[in-house]
Amino acid sequence: MIMEGLDESLVAAAQAGSTQAFSRLVERHQQPVRAFLRRACGDWAAADDLAQETFLAAWPRIGRLKAGASVRAWLCGIAYRKHLTSRRSAARSRTRDAAYEAERIAPAAGALDDRLTLETAMADLPPDQRACVALCLAADFSHAEAAEALDLPLGTVKSHVTRGRARLLIALGVPDDAC
Amino acid sequence: MTPADHRLKALFAKDAPPARDPAFSAAVIERLARRRCLQDLALLGAFSAVGGLALWGLWPVLQPALIAVSERLAPTAWALALAFCAVAVLGGLGERAPAVES
Repeated sequence: MIMEGLDESLVAAAQAGSTQAFSRLVERHQQPVRAFLRRACGDWAAADDLAQETFLAAWPRIGRLKAGASVRAWLCGIAYRKHLTSRRSAARSRTRDAAYEAERIAPAAGALDDRLTLETAMADLPPDQRACVALCLAADFSHAEAAEALDLPLGTVKSHVTRGRARLLIALGVPDDAC
Repeated sequence: MTPADHRLKALFAKDAPPARDPAFSAAVIERLARRRCLQDLALLGAFSAVGGLALWGLWPVLQPALIAVSERLAPTAWALALAFCAVAVLGGLGERAPAVES
């Protein structure tokens, strides 16, 4: 594929030390990485900070990226590990914020639109399941690609996607026509 | 892909960031440049500290040697400096001033 070929040449140039090539990679992959983090952590500002951290961490490690490997899967893998680390380190404040958010949203519950319902349902999913859903249902990752990015077994990814999808559809009140 | 999947995907797409975001890319590159600058500064600082310590340790040995060498080399250094100045001045006079276009 032409786009993958472009990625490969940009990665090769970045591995040779070209910051310009790395800058092009940032431009090309900022959208999937930020979208994944927004869906995985729910907080857009924090997601964008983590996305920046992801690219900063990717630069010194780009030499380890194998030829032909999916750049977006590699970046999403780094992003996911960053997300898990920040999640663990901010566990206390997150619990406090979540309680505040729950109180804040509760009075308007009747007026929730589908997007907010989806966001709430995503927030209720366990982190691994949420990440699998964010990659496979929202970002068109194959199960194998998501398994590689998240460092999870393929079967686990498939079951996470199936269960997560079912929970989201129930929350949205959409009949599951795949059954 | 089922209609339910399409619906989910459409809802997810509403929250997607823009495909091109120069501000985000610029912020990443700026942070990267800042980080590299700080690393370079730290490296230079470390080298300077090591060099300073080495000079401080070796100074009792270096000082007499430097004094002896500088006394012997002083006339040669003067001659070289004068020659350099002469070449610079004479060479500078020989250059033509750039023509001003009217």
